[in-house]
Order: sequence, then C-alpha cells, then structure tokens
Amino acid sequence: MAIRKDYFEWAAREFNPARIHEKPEALRGIRVLDLSVIYFGPATADFLGELGAEVVKVEMPGQGDVTRILGNASFFWKNISVAFFCANHSKYHVGIDMHRAAGQELIRQLAARSDIVVENFKAGTLEEKFGIGYRQLREINPRLIYVANTGFGQWGPFSRGRASYDGLAQAVSGLTAITGAGDVPTKIGNYLGDWFGACMSALAALAALHWRDRTGEGQFVEMAQCEGLLRAMDWTWLYAGLTGRDRAKAGNGDHVFAPSGVYRCADGYVALVAGTDGEFKALCRFIGRPALAKDPRFETRDARRRKEHARALDLAIGAWCAGRSRAQVEARARKAGVAAAPVMTAKDQITDAHLRARRTVWEHHDPVYGPMVECGPAPKLSETPARIRWAGKPVGFHNEFVLKSILGLDDEQIRALYAEGAVGRWAEGRRGAGPPEGWKGEGVLQ
Amino acid sequence: MKGERPRPVDGPAWEEWIRQAEDPARVADKPEALDDLLVLDLSLGHYGALLTATYLAELGAEVIKVEPPGGDPARRWGPADASVNGEGLAFLAEARNRYHITLDLGTAEGRRVLKGLAARADVLVEGYAPGHLDGLGLGYRQLRKINPRLVYVACSAWGQFGPKAKGQPAEYDLTDQALSGLLHITGAPESPPVKVGSWISAYAQAAWGSGATLAALHWRGQSGRGQMIDVTGAEALMRYLEYTLLLQHASGHTRERTGLYEIAVFPYTFVRAKDGWVFIAGYTDPNFGALCRIMDRPELTRDPRFNTTLQRTQLENEVQLRDEIQKWSVNHTADEILARVLADPGPGIVVFGPMNLPTRTLEEAHWWERGCFKRVSDPVYGELLLQMPAWRMTRTPPRLKWPCRPAGYHQDHVFQKYGGGVKKSLTRGVTGR
Repeated sequence: MAIRKDYFEWAAREFNPARIHEKPEALRGIRVLDLSVIYFGPATADFLGELGAEVVKVEMPGQGDVTRILGNASFFWKNISVAFFCANHSKYHVGIDMHRAAGQELIRQLAARSDIVVENFKAGTLEEKFGIGYRQLREINPRLIYVANTGFGQWGPFSRGRASYDGLAQAVSGLTAITGAGDVPTKIGNYLGDWFGACMSALAALAALHWRDRTGEGQFVEMAQCEGLLRAMDWTWLYAGLTGRDRAKAGNGDHVFAPSGVYRCADGYVALVAGTDGEFKALCRFIGRPALAKDPRFETRDARRRKEHARALDLAIGAWCAGRSRAQVEARARKAGVAAAPVMTAKDQITDAHLRARRTVWEHHDPVYGPMVECGPAPKLSETPARIRWAGKPVGFHNEFVLKSILGLDDEQIRALYAEGAVGRWAEGRRGAGPPEGWKGEGVLQ
Repeated sequence: MKGERPRPVDGPAWEEWIRQAEDPARVADKPEALDDLLVLDLSLGHYGALLTATYLAELGAEVIKVEPPGGDPARRWGPADASVNGEGLAFLAEARNRYHITLDLGTAEGRRVLKGLAARADVLVEGYAPGHLDGLGLGYRQLRKINPRLVYVACSAWGQFGPKAKGQPAEYDLTDQALSGLLHITGAPESPPVKVGSWISAYAQAAWGSGATLAALHWRGQSGRGQMIDVTGAEALMRYLEYTLLLQHASGHTRERTGLYEIAVFPYTFVRAKDGWVFIAGYTDPNFGALCRIMDRPELTRDPRFNTTLQRTQLENEVQLRDEIQKWSVNHTADEILARVLADPGPGIVVFGPMNLPTRTLEEAHWWERGCFKRVSDPVYGELLLQMPAWRMTRTPPRLKWPCRPAGYHQDHVFQKYGGGVKKSLTRGVTGR
C-alpha cells in the first residue's frame, strides 16, 4: 500500500513548530537541581529542561562554570564563551558557595524541594567534603532521584583518583581503536562521551521518575562516560568474545554495508550508502554504470563488501561524484531511493531550510544576549514539544528569584547570605561570568 | 567556616556503601523501573529503532518485536567473518530481552492482530519510511483512535515533517553522521572527514527516542494522552555538537576538523608513549600546572606561548605544546605515566589513559567488577560475550535477561497471553513462521 497523499501535511500540522509555545511541557512541575560543571552533568539537566523541567543551576560565585571561558579568542562573544550556552538553556542561575556551611544548608533546602539532583563531582566528593551527598539528601527527601555522572563510576579500581574527560573515555573504551584508519588515532571531533553519557543519564533519570510515579520511591542513578561509550560499540565485544580478535578499523567504509563511503564533490564531501541489493542496482543505474549491477563481484552484499570489491565500487562512485556538487549527488540519489547526504558544515546547517522548518536550527531572542541561533531539541514531540525558553545567564543571575520563590527567604535573609559569602553573583571584570557590556538590567527577576 | 568538613555519615564509607547498593550480583533481587509497560518493536531494518526498544527492555519493559515472515533483514547485519546460527553480530548484540513474533502486515489478518496488540500497548517504536505504516492503516493517526494513550515513536533519517521529509531514502549511520555535522569536524584538516567507528547515530537516536518516550509517559500519567515522537539519528547527534551553531552565528567562524588539536581546550590530545598511543589532558591553569609537574617541566607554565588558556588554544602553540609533551611521553610507558598522574599531590589533576584496543579493554578488571560485560551460555546461541546496560540504579537496576531469539520464537506465548489462545491460522498461514 502506498503512502497516503495527505500524510506529510498531517504530520506537519501535528508537529507545527509555530505552535510549540502554545503546547504543554512533558516535565512541567519537575524541579532539577543542577550541581554540575562543564558538559557531562549540565547537559543531563539541560536535556530534562528542554523537556519541560525547571532547572536550578548552582555555580560557584565569582567565576562559575569553566565553560564560560572555554576556547580561544574566536569563542568570545558578549563577554562570554559561546561554549557555555549549549548545556545551559532555560535554567535559573544561582551562585552558592558550597564550601560554606550556610551554602550547604541552602543546597539541602533546595534538594528538599527538588525532584532530581544532577552532579558530576568525583565519586564521594559531595558527601565527604560538603555533606550534601546522596545519603544525606535522601534523609531530607526520600523521593529524590540523585543522578551522579563520572568518568569511571562511583566504585571499582579506577574510580578513585582518576579523573576523566570525554577524550579519555574515547581512548580507554576502545572506540578510538575502531575509528578511522591507519595508525594515528582519530579524536572524535565533539565531546561525544560527555553528550552521549549525559543523554543516557537523562534517560535513566526519567526511568527512575517512572518508578517514582508508580511507588513514590527515589533512588541513586549513576552513569559513567567510559561505560556509555563501551555500551555504544555495537558488535565489537561479541566479535572479540567469539574470535578473540579486535574489530578492524574500517575508515569510512562499513563492515556490513557496501558500498559505503565519503566522496569528494566539487563543493565538499558527500556520504553515500547503498546497503541493499535494490539500492545498489539503483545506484549503478544513476551513476551510469548499469553493468556493475550484473558483475559477479557485486552481485550480493557479501560479495560487495569484500575489500577489493568495495574498493572498486568506491572508485566508480568517487569518479561520478567528483565533478558534481553535493546537492546534485543528493538529489540524484534521492530520486533513485539511495541514501546520500552532504557532509554538512555549521555554515550549511544554519541556513538549511529543512533544519529550520524543524526548529533543529533554533533562533530565539534572549533578553540579555539578543538574537541567538542554537541547536534546538533533538526529539520532536507532537503534544509536549521540547523547547528553548531562554539562554544561559550570568553567575547568580536569578539568586533573588530562586531564594524567594523556591525557599521563601526575605530580602533581609538574602542580604545576610550575600554578606557572609554563601551566596554571590559574578565577580566584576571576570570574563564569562558577568553580563555583556552595556547590559542595563534586562531580564532580571527580583 | 571555609573548608569545614561535615559530620561523616553513619555506616560504611561511601565507596563501600554504593558498591553494595549497586552490586551487579544482586540485580535480580530488585524490581524493574518499567515492568508495567508493553512496547511494540516494529524496527524492521532499523538499528536506531531497535536500540530504542532495547533500552526500554533493559529497564524492564515487556517488548514484543514484530517481524515479517522470514525475519527482520537486520538479522543478517554483522561482520563477514563471524556469525552465530546465521544471525549477524550487530543484531545478536542488541536485540535482547524481547519476545519475538512474526506477522505479515501485508495481510488484513496480520494488520488486525497488530491493531489488537497496539490497543493495549503503551509504546510503539518503528523505523519504516515516514508514512509507510500510515499507508497500511497502522500509523499514529489510526492507532490513536483505538488507543489514545499510545506513545508512538517514529525513527527516520530526515524526520516526519520538513521540506525534505517526503521521498526520503533509508536511514544509515554514515549519512546521519554527515547530516549531523559530526563527520565534518572529525579527522585531520588536510584529509577527508572520518566517521565514528560504531553506528553511533543509532545509539544517539535511541537515547533520545527512549528518553522522550519516558517524558511522554510521565505526561500521560497526568493528561491520560499519548503522543507521537519523531526522532532522526542526524539531529540526535547534531545536538551533541556543543557550540558549533552559536559559534557560526556569533563570529561567522565555521567549525572545522582539527585532527589531534582542539580549538576549545588544550592540551587535550593523543600522544605517543613508549608502548603505544595515550590520551592526555590538562587544559585549565591548575590542571596544566599538574601536567607540567609530572613532566618535570614546571617552566612551561610560565612560557608565554602556554601560560594562559587563550595562549594554549592558539593552533600554532598547540602544535608546539603537543611536541613538548610527546618528547617526554615517548620515553615512558602508559603504566609509568599513569603512576605519576596518580602520585601527583595536586593542585590540579591530569586526565590520562591508554588508547586501548577492544581486547585490551576486556582485560581490565574494573569493567568486569562493575558488570559492564558478561559471558553468557545461551541455550539458543551458545557462549556469548555481551555488553551490559550502561546505567547503575540502586532501586531498579537495568538488566540483561536473554539475548536475541529467532524470529517467531515466542509466537505461541504471545498469542496465548494477548490473543486468548493460539489460532492455527495465525501461527501458520498469516505469520509465516
């Protein structure tokens, strides 16, 4: 049966991006207390926030999260690094010094009124150093879901004394060893271990919320970024267990599908895969090489993926792509039902009509930072669409609002907390922590 | 008041307590977070949809995988030089914890049976071309009429809406990596882009797909209403690309491939050690100080090329700094360097580790103690080494129950449970088992 004529019009109405802000939010009423830094932690809270949770981000007064100053000079924009915003949308920013007893008490009070806590300190730090670990907070709030993200986990031989970044997770997991070709390792271009780990940890927090919805019970949830990448290596471990061998690097080829490759075009690169016999035959026709489809070297997927055969196909496809633009290749392949996609740059994406229509390229106007273009939420939900409400803010930007609206403190109590240093805002002159030049108090909530 | 230590918690130290609370050997004693959910897996030839259902199954959902007579073509996905009972390893590794039935959705009877299951299901996951199931009368707009509480997850390459949704080809990991922008920024600047070695976009798509599903189920608890979720592997990965779009917007600077260098943080790279490649990082001032200390090169922290994060992230300085580190690292084994890292008193901390081949990773006691891998002796597929669920949960730990099963393996069981008995017409003619 064929696709109904009105399907795409119907889907466009169901997901109509113009109506996102009219629709409810899936996690409305869920409060997330974000005690984490850099990406693996803040992103977990951010993803829950995109789905509608209220996120309170706690930072050290003065300087705040180090991503505020990440990068070289090209990153600095409006007195802050652009690297900060991607994991810190729509949050309420409070500056609390957790080294101080009064600061720790504020965290306890916030945790008592929160559903989920997210942290990514080294294992045991919040309990032993600050008195606000899981065992302490669950006494105050037994319904609490406490999410801890680390490199290697809360326990086990590597958990003590070893810090981790995404790059390390790529290396020790074995993912680097199965990526690229040749001897020199390929560092994956983004902080994959942070983002994938954060996404997995948000998922686990939601599973814990489902359990809490059923029983009222909170729990401790942990995600280790190395273990996240281990888990995302498909058949690597099964293969090693059966054969005792390491999976060979395949470059841009694929052990399963052939042809599969990245080919140079007149204006960049294109990725193309023809994974089935039908797709392969269609490919041979549109590249003007129908005889290839009848060649015994290429008759079956098993034959096509033999190294020398796959190489021959790569040359044929590469020759056809060479004089064409990415768009021409994509259009011709699509017409034939073959998957081809331009290797997109940020410049391509930011003006892409499809990504804009889906609000994956998300343009918004922030009261402090003005017009922004960021990557919008990945999953599209028809009834409770995920969304960006505002951009990240300076350190302690919402101190008064949070302390009053959530904790019910009055101005005098808040002044005392400032005076003793338990609460603070950005340090004047500290790059990345404060508002842009010329800011006149826009966006402040008192 | 600063630095005052809180009163210790009564009972064992944190590490001991959490080790017991998460003990992999005691997972089976505990309940499952999602064991009230029924999920239909219609992930024909679609790895991201398959994985979406896998995550839900690991967390406790009852997942019924519906395959056409003859089985899912993804059953043949795997490397050429190894398979088990004819199953490809990619499928065998991830099609776990499910009940397997076959149904021919090309027949009226097959569609009727599927509707009967969908009427009771909480979640349906599919990876067909957008509009395909709708064309069969089995799409979200038809199923929500018989089950308004259904959460319907559709996985595809370009999504269900937008100018490129119509007429889109099949979803592959490589094309997703290309569309996401990750491909463009991975590899060396002078060489073509390089893809991530595993089918990473499918894993990202599944993490988003199942996470959004659980958020939708939470909302359903309040509203009584289901919804449709549209997830592409390309957008799933694109959301992981940090500042890429904002940098383009703010400065007009297009993020490019930088190989072993990094425009945001440095040092954060691979260098050669005496016995292989290693990863090493120390990019904030205190952490860079620690790195210089373990290299016995304290003067580098004062070197005008390297003394601030801004200086260290200038590309020409990065090249020189990496050379300095490698001059030192090639004279030490990875174990020697790690010992120095662990012995360093601070301030600051160096992040360090070897680039492991998978078989080397499998030799590390840490992962085995934590239950990341398991060797199972399966009645159908024999001895298998499998990766375990990625999360630890103290109350409702996820788990592996069984690996994949042959197509139609649970036909009688599922029809007994949901069909009021086994109809011969279904087990033979229609299902094609």
